[in-house]
Amino acid sequence: MKITKSKTYKTFTNPIWGNNPISIQMLGICSSLAVTVQLKTAVVMSLSLAFVVAFSSMIISLIRNHIPRNIRILAELAVIATLVILADEFLRAYFYDISKQLSVFVGLIITNCIVMGRAEAFALSNPPHLAFVDGLGNGAGYGSVLITVAFIRELLGSGKLFGFKVIPESMYAAGYEDTGFMLLAPAAFIIIGLLVWLQKSIVRD
Amino acid sequence: MSDALRSLLFSVVLCLVCGTLLTAASSGLKEIQQKNMAIDQRKNILKSVGLVRDDQTYSGEKINQIYEQNIRRLLVDHEGNVIQASSFGTKKEEKSLPIYLYSTKAGVVEAYVIPIDSRGLWGKIHGYLALKNDGATIIGFTIYKHSETPGLGGEIEQNWFQQNFVGKKIIAPGGEFVSISIAKGKADGSAPKDRLTNFVDGISGATLTGQFLTEGLKEILTSYEGVSVAFRNTEEYCRNSKERPWCRK
Repeated sequence: MKITKSKTYKTFTNPIWGNNPISIQMLGICSSLAVTVQLKTAVVMSLSLAFVVAFSSMIISLIRNHIPRNIRILAELAVIATLVILADEFLRAYFYDISKQLSVFVGLIITNCIVMGRAEAFALSNPPHLAFVDGLGNGAGYGSVLITVAFIRELLGSGKLFGFKVIPESMYAAGYEDTGFMLLAPAAFIIIGLLVWLQKSIVRD
Repeated sequence: MSDALRSLLFSVVLCLVCGTLLTAASSGLKEIQQKNMAIDQRKNILKSVGLVRDDQTYSGEKINQIYEQNIRRLLVDHEGNVIQASSFGTKKEEKSLPIYLYSTKAGVVEAYVIPIDSRGLWGKIHGYLALKNDGATIIGFTIYKHSETPGLGGEIEQNWFQQNFVGKKIIAPGGEFVSISIAKGKADGSAPKDRLTNFVDGISGATLTGQFLTEGLKEILTSYEGVSVAFRNTEEYCRNSKERPWCRK
């Protein structure tokens, strides 16, 4: 069997393109508006979310046969919240400046619909290794949109990538100006809208 | 075992496991987090006097090195007299004010930094206000901790807002103390024409944060007014004071 046909492979790639959590399912829009002004914060946020969704899905899948049905959501939430706080504590210890910039948004991963959605829709009915891969895939799908948006916003908004100036001084001398609008939240909305449009028109063909 | 009992048992075990993990992470990482916070505070002091730039990254050791070379922390009373650290514990009733002196290599005190902890809309706002050695001109303002709404009051941590303070005065043109106020909207237009140097631009959508910060700054600057006066009248102060941390030797 070819690797591209295996169920694991499909579980991983499906959420990156065909069933992307942001551009197809329209989940997690709030954080993708807030943390995409710079690439650095977008990358850290993507990694944090991928960590949380992968491990929460795996843990929930491991204990799925023991969770009593009536407190299912509570148990999922406890697992997710624990992982989010762990990620937040880790960032505050080792990436203090970035964690200050991300402010409340790491904590708000708890309420990110992607995490809860994957726990309910996938982890409860699939074995742990698939749930883990599904979580990674969703993290990658979320991250790919976040990083694309952040790339466009940082480049056009402040002429930088990862904090380094990439637009040469001669361009500014010739009259080029950074687009201040790109630094505001509505710009992210417009870019995400255009990305959705682009993806839908490619898929249809 | 009944369903209810099973649910109860499951949630107790889950809570125990999660709680243990969180406690372990929190206490295990506490030391390094506190170190980060201390460095961040020092960085903000340096930023307020213009020794570090916001668009560059510095290692923790570099911050500590620049800090130790340039900044000295002192406890002073309301007249600007130094309170010895040793007698600090014994004379609790005397309220001491911490200040940070920024001196150049030649030993000239260029500026003094006042720690700010003001009330905000949702919680305390912590930062530093740096004043030039004339005792009147603000040379920098930074905020390192607050709980204002991101995007609205949270804009106080942005450079554009903090840069507004640079060059403003805490005294009116006549020389009397008036503190510094955050205007409602643009300072140009809402503040009296002859007092523009005592107002900075406000943040639209964050009027209350501005009001609380204005009140907080006024309260703090009032309690430090004696120290600022000592800077304004350096000659008189140097003649009368025993300890002279900012007099030419």
